[in-house]
Amino acid sequence: MSRIVVVTSGKGGVGKTTTSAAFATGLAMRGYKTAVIDFDVGLRNLDLIMGCERRVVYDFVNVINGEASLKQALIRDKHTENLHVLPASQTRDKDALTQEGVGRVMDGLRDDGFDFIVCDSPAGIERGAHMAMYFADDAVVVTNPEVSSVRDSDRILGLLQSKTQKAEQGGNVREHLLITRYSPTRVASGEMLGMEDILEILAVPLIGVVPESQSVLQASNSGTPVILDKTSDAGQAYDDFVRRFLGETVPHRFLEVEKKGFLKRLFG
Amino acid sequence: MSADVVEIKGEMTLVSVLQLASPDVAKVRQGLQQKRDSVPQLFVNSPLVVDCSSLGDACQRLDFQALREAIVDLGFIPVGIRNIPDACQEQAVLAGWAMLRPVRQSAIPRTGRPAVQEPVTAGKSIEVIERPVRSGQQVYFPDGDIVVLQHTSAGSEILAGGSVHVYGSLRGRVLAGIHGDTSARIFCQKLEAELVAIAGNYRLLDEIETDLKGQPAMVWLEGEKLRIAPMF
Ligand SMILES: Nc1ncnc2c1ncn2[C@@H]1O[C@H](COP(=O)(O)OP(=O)(O)OP(=O)(O)O)[C@@H](O)[C@H]1O
Ligand SMILES: [Mg+2]
Repeated sequence: MSRIVVVTSGKGGVGKTTTSAAFATGLAMRGYKTAVIDFDVGLRNLDLIMGCERRVVYDFVNVINGEASLKQALIRDKHTENLHVLPASQTRDKDALTQEGVGRVMDGLRDDGFDFIVCDSPAGIERGAHMAMYFADDAVVVTNPEVSSVRDSDRILGLLQSKTQKAEQGGNVREHLLITRYSPTRVASGEMLGMEDILEILAVPLIGVVPESQSVLQASNSGTPVILDKTSDAGQAYDDFVRRFLGETVPHRFLEVEKKGFLKRLFG
Repeated sequence: MSADVVEIKGEMTLVSVLQLASPDVAKVRQGLQQKRDSVPQLFVNSPLVVDCSSLGDACQRLDFQALREAIVDLGFIPVGIRNIPDACQEQAVLAGWAMLRPVRQSAIPRTGRPAVQEPVTAGKSIEVIERPVRSGQQVYFPDGDIVVLQHTSAGSEILAGGSVHVYGSLRGRVLAGIHGDTSARIFCQKLEAELVAIAGNYRLLDEIETDLKGQPAMVWLEGEKLRIAPMF
């Protein structure tokens, strides 16, 4: 039985695609057959972060329209076994995604024995975001430590409660809060909301905190999901997140301002 | 000229209703400004409901965002909008409008409204909400009390014919006694509301003494005056 997980946020640019790539890679690394789907029709991005943009032949919309089979459109990830990418279309408009069509793709992936289907949602609360969340069993709500992002996540949580198949059937989508681009220094100086404030406002179980990190940009420039960078703080935080998602108890890290050593303080 | 573009009338709820007669926001603004300036004390920070029933298909040409901005600009509080055609609902929601139930039993179906938790009203006198009421959500229960077991978020709205109880932080707007029941009350575990109103008498949180913020509190009506006091 496949588990469908939407990565969503409301606000744009908070790290959904970065998270989807890391998450899907982390699941596949642990042996789960995983598909990651880019729902951002018109603005495809996931293939770049995954480093497979040059191997895109068919896309999600082609499959929905019956112009290609799932098998033809799924791209086998070059870094990680068990991982497959379904890229978004760059040219189509957002109406190309229909609920019925998305449903057929989900059924197809289920029949192919995928354990996890990760849906990278576009920003906003419009059609694309609805399509990405509609079939979800779980939602990873990505939030940055700032008021506007938290407010948008709150709206998304409201939509998850009402605009999903689970909700329509009287159930609940499982909610997980992932705080990204967390900067303990800026939290300490009061520039950003702290983790406790965010939890107090949203009241959703916390599944991870990913620090603001240079390594994310480096990873996306080289088309390698940051979770594969085992030495980076963001990569480790994403790895912790995947383990928690799979049921392990892992303490949270990267929440405190790093104490600089004497030499570091002297020379920056 | 602009005098007949808008018409404001008081309703049972004592929330003013702006009856739109034109989709031209500039005209609406002008008319609304005239009304306001005629009795400024009456309308300052006044909650306003927009009714589009006389617009019909002209609603398609209405710039919901601009309308909202104009209303805020003139010092009103846009509580919600109602009687708009299906086709326009998404636009209105995206512009931040709360959808209110049409007064007349017009044929506007409830689908396409923002995430509204639909109460089942058959003979019930109390509506219990077990989950947080999130930003953009509205709970509307004209037949009695609303009990929220968790928090309500900033940007959410609770409208009850009777009293409202919130067993968590109250951060959104709450309107109790919306049909004029002056005995309705609001109770909450942590008062952080944006707006509280009973039978149309409202207050914004900014005006509320700060020592009540974050405290368990009760709101009730004494004559025309809204009273707020700590509960314990
Ligand atoms: N932990 C982090 N540290 C530093 N930069 C980050 C971090 N996470 C994401 N970013 C950067 O933020 C930007 C947006 O990231 P990403 O594309 O993943 O967001 P998104 O939510 O998918 O955006 P969109 O809403 O446009 O789809 C990118 O430039 C990315 O490198
Ligand atoms: Mg993205």
